[in-house]
Amino acid sequence: MIRPTHVPSSAAASRWARRTTHVALLACLALSAGPSAALARPAPTPGGATPAPGTPAPTPRTATPVEHFIFLMQENHTFDNYFGTRPGVDGLPKDACMPVKRGVPKPCVAPFHIGKLGAIDLDHSADAFRTQYNGGRMDGFVEGVSKQGKDGRMAMAYYDERDLPYYWNVADEYVLFDRFFSSSNSGSIRNHMYRVTGGPGATGKAETIPAQGWGDIPTIFDRLEEAGISWKFYVQNYDPTITFRSRVEEENIDRGAQVIWVPLLAYARYVDDPRLSSKIVDLDEYYTDAARGDLPAVSFIAPAGNSEHPPGNIGSGQNLVRALLTQLMRSPDWSSSAFLWSYDDWGGWYDHVTPPQIDRYGYGFRVPALLVSPYARRGYVDSTTLDFTSALKFIEVNWGVKPLASRDAKAQTFLGAFDFAAPPRPGVLLSAERVSVALHRPDPRPVYASYAVAVGLVAALVVTAALRGRRRSR
Amino acid sequence: MNLPGAPTAVLPGQRRGHRDDPARRRLPPPGSWLRALRRRRWTVAAALAAIAGLALLVRSWRIDFFGFNSDEVVYAGQAASLAGNPGYTDLFPVFRAHPMLFQALLSPLFRAGEAGMSGRWAVAVIGVLTVLAVYPLGARLYNRRVGLLAALLLAVMPYHVIVTRQILLDGPMVLLSTLTFYCMVRYVQEQREVWYLATAGMLGLTMLAKETSVVLAGSLYAFLALTPAVRRPVRATLLALPALVVVFAAHPVSQALAGRSDSGRNYLVWQLFRRPNHPMSFYLENVPTAIGVLLLVAAAGGLWWARRHSSWRETLLLSWIAVPVVFFQLWPVKGFQYLLPVAVPVVLLGARALVLLPVPARLRWPGRGAPARPVPARAGRLIRLAAVALVASTLAASSWDAVSHQGRTTFLAGSGGVPGGREVGRWLTEHTPEGSVILTLGPSMSNIVRFYSQRQSYGLSVSPNPLHRNPSYVPLNNPDGWLRNNNLHYVVWDAFSARRSPFFADRLMTLVRRYHGRVVHTEYVGTPGASGRVTPVPVVVVYEVRP
Repeated sequence: MIRPTHVPSSAAASRWARRTTHVALLACLALSAGPSAALARPAPTPGGATPAPGTPAPTPRTATPVEHFIFLMQENHTFDNYFGTRPGVDGLPKDACMPVKRGVPKPCVAPFHIGKLGAIDLDHSADAFRTQYNGGRMDGFVEGVSKQGKDGRMAMAYYDERDLPYYWNVADEYVLFDRFFSSSNSGSIRNHMYRVTGGPGATGKAETIPAQGWGDIPTIFDRLEEAGISWKFYVQNYDPTITFRSRVEEENIDRGAQVIWVPLLAYARYVDDPRLSSKIVDLDEYYTDAARGDLPAVSFIAPAGNSEHPPGNIGSGQNLVRALLTQLMRSPDWSSSAFLWSYDDWGGWYDHVTPPQIDRYGYGFRVPALLVSPYARRGYVDSTTLDFTSALKFIEVNWGVKPLASRDAKAQTFLGAFDFAAPPRPGVLLSAERVSVALHRPDPRPVYASYAVAVGLVAALVVTAALRGRRRSR
Repeated sequence: MNLPGAPTAVLPGQRRGHRDDPARRRLPPPGSWLRALRRRRWTVAAALAAIAGLALLVRSWRIDFFGFNSDEVVYAGQAASLAGNPGYTDLFPVFRAHPMLFQALLSPLFRAGEAGMSGRWAVAVIGVLTVLAVYPLGARLYNRRVGLLAALLLAVMPYHVIVTRQILLDGPMVLLSTLTFYCMVRYVQEQREVWYLATAGMLGLTMLAKETSVVLAGSLYAFLALTPAVRRPVRATLLALPALVVVFAAHPVSQALAGRSDSGRNYLVWQLFRRPNHPMSFYLENVPTAIGVLLLVAAAGGLWWARRHSSWRETLLLSWIAVPVVFFQLWPVKGFQYLLPVAVPVVLLGARALVLLPVPARLRWPGRGAPARPVPARAGRLIRLAAVALVASTLAASSWDAVSHQGRTTFLAGSGGVPGGREVGRWLTEHTPEGSVILTLGPSMSNIVRFYSQRQSYGLSVSPNPLHRNPSYVPLNNPDGWLRNNNLHYVVWDAFSARRSPFFADRLMTLVRRYHGRVVHTEYVGTPGASGRVTPVPVVVVYEVRP
């Protein structure tokens, strides 16, 4: 037989060899701690030497073994809405019961499993937040929805492992954050801007995309460009014709949300500059890039129909995340990757944790967030206070780029969710079923015993026959 | 003791000193024959050792060159699962179609790690034991020379060699059926009921190796029915049947005690109603060449030219051949190895024929007008020796060819390992994440992939209709949906299944194209072309797929 051809294996070995260096760098980072300016230093070159002028710029080094960071933003759920019933997390309080009217304890609505009720698109505007937050009393979740003419009780519905088996399996195996807040106490536009700029984008009362776009507000991708660090923004069902120029109001054209979920499409320079616009690509490229081991250093992903935005099917959202993770785990880049996904705002659903108000815009309510990486701690619940700018902070720390705004400069990041001292874990394609079908293994003892008796019986017969024959022949 | 109606004269080549040999009473003085007997024993022992060595050589030569085939992985997987090997307990159920005697015997070898070649070595040793067991049988039926020659022929017979290089139930079953045969011969020769009981018990044990050997009960019945001279004591028969049932009861009893009493019934229903898997000409096309055409000719010729000397021995041998052949020919499900029990009576008949080969006493030399001259006894021996050498060498050459080939792009179930299967399985283990689920073309490759990769796998061609599938197989009612929902991560195409089911091969490739299939691994076999140049031909291809 002729020996087979093999697909080139990953560069994991060489990466692994650099792990020790990474740990040392991390220790340095920990020592230089907090101040973002210190963290923003470019990562040192090996041996501390400065590259000689004229020599090609070396590939930017990372402070951790994570060389590929992927950040997916799904839509509109709170932590309690997805993981509130999960043991071991800061989940739904046992005695939770939300007044139908603020300040009036009875009647109230207790959290309930959504069951076969269809999810509705609850109100999730800045107004709704104010009502539900109610000055920190957190008693307006039902009223915040019902005053929009919708069934306010639905705000208290939750999903659990029956509905989200894959996410719960991921949480068993990797990291679940239970103090991850949406950055803004309003809707999608500001939260997505926090995700890429560290700031709200639209200031003041209005939460809209300006007609002329976001102008020159710096994004994390500008930072990456300056530092020569590769990046891509993968967009599901990407339509390059939908930009801030073709969309003024979300309702104006079909799929106008693409401009909100991909804020770069509301920047003239990202739309007009072919070099930059070529990095905003269809999600299909994610699969081919991952398969080839060509994932950029930083990848942002925006969904389309599989965003889990109510009343959308959360199962299809799970399928999308599962497909993305499956491809990542099969990729040669897996051993140096981290995949974070979260939800852009609370979507109107109940969450019991009062969000700290660190400035005028936020935080918003907690949102689900999970981290998958070969270095992620197994089954770990990270309770660090985080928001979307924590992802920016991670990029800034890892690749040594400057912060964008005060939020990301001050943000905590999720380095504690990793265990870089341990070798990278091989990927595990988790089931989309919560309970794996365990086969009942029959008791082997009766099997051995029965056959031993049968063999013994026949042996006894043959020996008896042979011995009797001998005796007679004598 | 002489049997009523038994031959009163010793057949040429019949064992001397036999209980039914009238010449036994004319023994030479003890001093001389005792020395001769001892000398002969050493000679026989040396010859048997050489035959056993040869048998082991051909059964073990490059025994691990190819990985297991589908049947082998099922039996090895059962054994590993029974032993509690954590790599297999979730993937291979303990109870499937057959009793578990052999799997229970194998299981201590498979307690941890990959269930590997130790199983094949165990079967090879069982094959050698069968070869050795043929000697006393031949010696008892005829004489030592026939016994030795039969052992030699079985040692190099391609049919037996091929099957006893694989973890199949047929190898152990044939060893036990040979012992059953031996017990029956002892009963006929000694007429002691305890041998009758032992025959029944041994047949029960044979059925515990593989239940299809129940057909040999038909052989015994046919023999007894055709040989009125053999006593059929009613009492012994009344005891023999329960003995057989008690021994075989180990199978259902063990299943019931282990909590799986319905598995066997499911398989029985499926076997009774499944569609034919081969044409009626299957055995005719495959088995005679595997047994050896010259050997068959010799066996048939021997029966013809010694027909006047035929006795209960030939009746027993022919019954042992005819009943399984007729039964499996009529049975819709056919398998290459199913007729293996006939190998033993065929070598005995062939050896008898070669030892009895008639050489004319006088020959008229061509071109001479002189009267016919007597052929020297030495020349007769040389002719017989040449015939033996011819038959044995052709068998050995066929066996050697079978065990030395580099792999083919076609595969007949039961005829050996599957090229590329093991390698693909191991590749999947090393290069795919744990939890990957694999779609193969058919259930056979699915078994192999599951065994070697320890990943869950499904066969596309497994029928959703429970009447048309093996009860162990899980069908995918909607493979398209499984792929769309990211429940299948790799697709494995193989040339062997594709040749058998082109429809499903097309369907598989449609799914591969639809779900962005990307070739990630290929296994090849070298196929010599017309110019003699070896061309690598892909036999197994692994595609990575995604929604």
